[in-house]
Amino acid sequence: MSTLAVTAPAGRRFGIGAIVLIIVGLFVLLTLAAIAFGSTWIPLETVANVILGGGEKTEKLVVWQLRMPRVMAAAIAGAAISFSGYLLQRITRNELASPGVLGVVDGAALGVVLFLAIFSNESNALTVSVAWQPLAAAIGALTAISLVFILSGRQSSSAIRLLLFGIAIAAVAKALTTVFMLVGPVYQAAQAARWLAGAVNAISWSEIQIMAICLVPTVLVALWLAKDLPPADLDDVSSRSIGLNLPVYRIAVFFVAAVLTSIAVAFVGGVGFLGLIAPHLARLLVGRSRFAGILTSCLLGAMMLIGADLLVRVVFTPLEVPAGTVTAIVGAPYFLFLLMRKDKTNG
Amino acid sequence: MADLVPSRIEVRDLTLMYGHDTVLDALNLPIPRGKVTVLAGPNGCGKSTLLRAIRRLHTGQKGQILLDGIDIASLGAKDLARQIGLLAQNPSAPPDMTVEELVRLGRYPHQAMLQPWSEKDGVAVNRAMDGTGVTGLKHRRIGSLSGGQLQRAWIAMVLAQETDVICLDEPVNHLDMAHQLDCLDLVSKLNKEDGRTIVLVLHDLNLAARYADQLVFVHEGHVRALGQPEELMKPELLAEVFEVDAAIMTDPVHGRPICIPRGRAKAAVKELA
Repeated sequence: MSTLAVTAPAGRRFGIGAIVLIIVGLFVLLTLAAIAFGSTWIPLETVANVILGGGEKTEKLVVWQLRMPRVMAAAIAGAAISFSGYLLQRITRNELASPGVLGVVDGAALGVVLFLAIFSNESNALTVSVAWQPLAAAIGALTAISLVFILSGRQSSSAIRLLLFGIAIAAVAKALTTVFMLVGPVYQAAQAARWLAGAVNAISWSEIQIMAICLVPTVLVALWLAKDLPPADLDDVSSRSIGLNLPVYRIAVFFVAAVLTSIAVAFVGGVGFLGLIAPHLARLLVGRSRFAGILTSCLLGAMMLIGADLLVRVVFTPLEVPAGTVTAIVGAPYFLFLLMRKDKTNG
Repeated sequence: MADLVPSRIEVRDLTLMYGHDTVLDALNLPIPRGKVTVLAGPNGCGKSTLLRAIRRLHTGQKGQILLDGIDIASLGAKDLARQIGLLAQNPSAPPDMTVEELVRLGRYPHQAMLQPWSEKDGVAVNRAMDGTGVTGLKHRRIGSLSGGQLQRAWIAMVLAQETDVICLDEPVNHLDMAHQLDCLDLVSKLNKEDGRTIVLVLHDLNLAARYADQLVFVHEGHVRALGQPEELMKPELLAEVFEVDAAIMTDPVHGRPICIPRGRAKAAVKELA
């Protein structure tokens, strides 16, 4: 009992700073490595040189047009999904909460599959530009979260109701997605399956720009909301007694978390488990500190998706395996470990 | 008795329903300023609901609750939180939160957007921790505390809120006898030394009679009786409200009435009827 107990806050704060710095350092290294590795190896100093404006034409092309977009996309999407997961784990007071349970990811998937089904002609070619696919995903995601809120109705301030309706909507969306993939043409099924697994290989700078433009205001709102997370750590009665308008606050946080994830998955697809693992690891590393926790979980999420994409490129070349497959393969056992550990502490 | 001093809180014709169940039925209750009011009654009588309604955690379908003559429905969330504090029946916080972090949360309603933490907040937190004797525990984590320590930490959080009215919902439920007395003596001290208005829900009638200035018997959603403990601790009333056949004596130490139940009072109720 007393071993847990005595902790000097000054020492703890210093510790958090050091941990955050180390993670930032690792993030920079991994980002550079992810740009350097690929079908051809570009030395790190060349990468740095190109980023700073130098380099030859081919090096520039490979770094700026081929490697950078997918690394950037992985970083931004990974961070957004993890931020979303962090908010959800805090607001539900449950370390097993993740963006997936809001129905957002499966809603986006359904949007993509519907898009592919509706805008294809008889010869399986898309009748509109594939650039519209993210919009379809975003519409699917936002429809799903809206349905969750509408169905929860007057009980939408209850975390457990929202989670249950989220799981239900996710299941329905998933079932419909499967149906459309089975009845649709094979090409569509393959295209949809790639999206479902989550991949950053085909992303362009203009898509990254759109993703960033959508994310900036959302992140600002999320950070502004995050200042009220500590009172929301208490039980419902206590947090309301100290003056937090919990019902409204909780809906706002759920909604912002859903939007964060929607924007990310619209562009990179249904990347699994990031939003569960990154915030959880962040909490293990830096504890309850809010902004350090958010920063750490964003960096860890970014690193995980960059790392997964890097693995895919290095290990599976020339096969383009979706990065989401890697996060799922690594993430699922971690999830099981969490569940088992939870059982232990409860028992 | 309390008519000389204007009431701090006035519950007027409050009707509160959960679905189709009427929990409080046109209930009226004055809560006198600077006194300890104890709500007592059998399980399910609505006393906890009433306490939460006073803190606006439930809103009634009819009636109103006036705080110094102002309907609490018209107050903002933080505004009300600066005036009425409430300690929940089973409060919970993350186990890795420290005692100091918890107590600091009591300052939440006092914090403005652009000026997050002031010296005044620090003073209030330290005073709350000193008053409850948890200063030595401030770096301990919530999950490592004993039941009595935990309860004191939570009371410290409510104190840091610096509200003039403090509501406590069965604060001594999970505590042993010594800690029950510690807790209620602390509450009583807050009332006597700082003149705060206290509203308590207590299960133990003898503790209720000992600490109450005004005792309130809540029965089936109504206030069945209110007054000084001596006026309420009568065998007929206890038989009606609590369905116990009890003998009433005077506590030789504090001079307050105590009851000794003989058994259930089905027969007694029938006789009265």
